[in-house]
Amino acid sequence: MRHCDPGGNGCSRAQAASILGRLSDHVSAAIVRMISMTRPQLLGFAVASVLFAITSVHAEGDKAAGKKLVYTCAGCHGVPGYTNAYPQYPVPKIAGQNEQYIINALHGYQKGDRTHPTMMAQAQSLSDTDIQNIAAYLSSLAK
Amino acid sequence: MKSALTVLSFGAVLAFASTQVLARGNAENGKKKATTCFACHGADGNAVDPQYPRLAGQYDAYIQQVLHEYKDGRRNNAIMKGMDAALSDQDIEDVAAYFSSLPTKLDTLQGHIEGDK
Repeated sequence: MRHCDPGGNGCSRAQAASILGRLSDHVSAAIVRMISMTRPQLLGFAVASVLFAITSVHAEGDKAAGKKLVYTCAGCHGVPGYTNAYPQYPVPKIAGQNEQYIINALHGYQKGDRTHPTMMAQAQSLSDTDIQNIAAYLSSLAK
Repeated sequence: MKSALTVLSFGAVLAFASTQVLARGNAENGKKKATTCFACHGADGNAVDPQYPRLAGQYDAYIQQVLHEYKDGRRNNAIMKGMDAALSDQDIEDVAAYFSSLPTKLDTLQGHIEGDK
């Protein structure tokens, strides 16, 4: 049989039907396997699916891309004890900070829920993906 | 020359004094006052839920600054505004002293940027 992609062109109705049929065979086989599982197996399966669901709630950030992006941040956040000009207080340590908190904080500066002028300007230049990547990298640095 | 030195030394004293704007609180009192914070930020100051920040080992004066900002609305966060409302200036100093004194997982970005290592 000619190679055929069900969603693409050049695929006859019969071929598509046979692919779909085979797919549904796989699905029903999987269901049969699940039904025949013992209780501990089922529990394990349930836990595994929940864990998978949790970790895939938000897109995984790219740490390597994040490491490139934080070059700018280091101008202030890379100097131990560096203080903000006015009012005077130290710029926070952000390496090792929690991932979702960093994402929320940067979105907060974008939306104006946080009002630090420099950080508002910095956050404006970041895309959602940039923010995810930065958060993935920074949170990975926890000591 | 002498008067120039006098002026300079005055300047130095003022510069030094202005870095001490925020006073340091009492960490032991802070631990007692911070019990409400533990639910989200962890008793060891290392929040488990990643939506809440780690506070352990964060700069004392930064935590104080942020608590004031949540309280007066410069940072707009419903949860923290509620938590902060009951804290006096002294409470804020003490709570910040406590969390900043804890063993930390945080660091500055020194040594963590491209080209550093």
